[in-house]
Amino acid sequence: MFALVDVNNMYVSCERVFKPSLIGRPVVVLSSNDGACIARSNEAKDLGVKMAQPWFEVRHLERTAGLIAQSANFELYGDMSSRMMALAAEYAPRQEIYSIDECFLDFEGVRGDLVDTGRHLRATVLQCTGLPTSVGFGPTKTLAKLANHVAKTEDRKPGTYPAHVARVCNFGNMSARELDDILGRTAVNSVWGVGPKTTARLNEGNIRTVRDLINADVATLRRQFNVLLEKTVLELRGTSCVEVDDAPAPNQQIMASRSFGEPATDLTALSEIVSGFTTRVAAKLRAQHSLAAAVRVFITTSPHRRQDAQHSPSVTMPLARPTSDTRALTAAALRALEGMFRPGHNYVKAGVMLMDLRDEGQAQGELDLFAEPGGPSEPATGAEATNARLMGAVDALNLRFGLGSVGLASGLQREQGAGRHAARQERRSPRYTTRLQEIATVKA
Amino acid sequence: MDDPSGPRFVRVGRDTGTTAVQPVRTSVAISFGSPATESGVTRLDLNDIFIKNPQATYMMRVAGTAMRDAGIDDGDIVLVDRAISPAHGHIVIAVVDQEFMCRRLVMQGGAFSLCATDPAVAAVHPREGEEFQLWGVVTTAMKSLRV
Repeated sequence: MFALVDVNNMYVSCERVFKPSLIGRPVVVLSSNDGACIARSNEAKDLGVKMAQPWFEVRHLERTAGLIAQSANFELYGDMSSRMMALAAEYAPRQEIYSIDECFLDFEGVRGDLVDTGRHLRATVLQCTGLPTSVGFGPTKTLAKLANHVAKTEDRKPGTYPAHVARVCNFGNMSARELDDILGRTAVNSVWGVGPKTTARLNEGNIRTVRDLINADVATLRRQFNVLLEKTVLELRGTSCVEVDDAPAPNQQIMASRSFGEPATDLTALSEIVSGFTTRVAAKLRAQHSLAAAVRVFITTSPHRRQDAQHSPSVTMPLARPTSDTRALTAAALRALEGMFRPGHNYVKAGVMLMDLRDEGQAQGELDLFAEPGGPSEPATGAEATNARLMGAVDALNLRFGLGSVGLASGLQREQGAGRHAARQERRSPRYTTRLQEIATVKA
Repeated sequence: MDDPSGPRFVRVGRDTGTTAVQPVRTSVAISFGSPATESGVTRLDLNDIFIKNPQATYMMRVAGTAMRDAGIDDGDIVLVDRAISPAHGHIVIAVVDQEFMCRRLVMQGGAFSLCATDPAVAAVHPREGEEFQLWGVVTTAMKSLRV
């Protein structure tokens, strides 16, 4: 059985932990470059604010409805994420981190009431971090993700589903009849990986609910769509065939993460792993013609190796200039790693996450007022074109000979530093957990 | 609801339908002859000494002198552990009027109040319909001395 744990409205929830006055109010978090709404509280959703909607379109709600906007605070979200992930990891033998606010837990071989486990996990994360989560259980990852959607929807809009599935929903312990009823009430676009285009075409073929999709003819679907949709249907029917790595990427972030067979104890080994991950995510970034303005790196020891000293740090590096250059991204990732690595620990998992993404086009013509004078990793516009060609060649070689064929010598990586200054962010909250000068103040 | 703005006393991490939660972290005794006792000697680390629940521990800066007699003064940094369930006598961080406040938690006969150590400062009692969230428990106060 798999579980998908995810934080409700992650970025807004992080802001609320340290600023209680935001609780119960409509809040959006804006991307740092173009001011699009990248997170919305339930109250903001109820006001009709759409995902990725530009701030200027909803700004009038500030006066008329008390809408509050915060600029994205990726250092805070990154640290809160690592706390939540470390707590969740204790509940199952295997954890796969899927995005900044989502992870799969693999409960294979675990006995006992999983709903109880889910509620305990949820309560622990809420108590220790203040972040509300939803937990979905299912025999496949696609079903776990769907159960999570059901748990979250019933929490937000009570009455959509049976009340007992709110917050924690286990498809694995339901009667076939109840499950069928729930799937019949769930729109097909709620399924992991079924996007707007596929949804429109499915609807044309009169496939509207998840139940419709499950009952559809797989061979026909494969002909009309693709093998991915076929896999999705197999997963919905209970056959596991999707790996997290092949799964659709979450919005607004690209990540690579893996557990190692053997624990890594030295910086060199971890540097290689982190460089490899960064090469992979940078290629994905360029494939979707995006730039990243922040790199997050995390490493963790195993909570199941009780005799080991535990350490699960994460560092988010803001980049002065958004980039898709493997060298700049790797340099930032390695600096993050070097800053948090502690000798004497058995690290079993690492991950690299690109955040604060934007389209390539948006970055052009921006004046870099915050770059360090003569600072590294901020190539002039002329050099940008050369870099793009170089990176294009690297991607082509990796595509042809397999990912990892062409990497970067680490000597080169280290010459490149990452910018120290994040872009100006008027509405950004203090970085409460990563900067001593910015910790919360308490009245006494 | 997760929104802790209901008109009642709420504990940290209150979650309807769930009993109070103890952190799952447990200490493990190392058996005789474990190689860990032979080779794992490192310099003392303040993190290990003062932070029992690293995922649940946060730092806050104190502003004000109402808790001076508890050893917490203006400008000090406190460590706040959210994994500890608040109990009578604990120094807690409470949310009062949507702001963080450091006080001693006094529980008498089912009633709760937040008391300063400075007798001139009035205790805070949650009134009917007033919000009273306990954010975490202060475990350590740190003060920097002039050198």
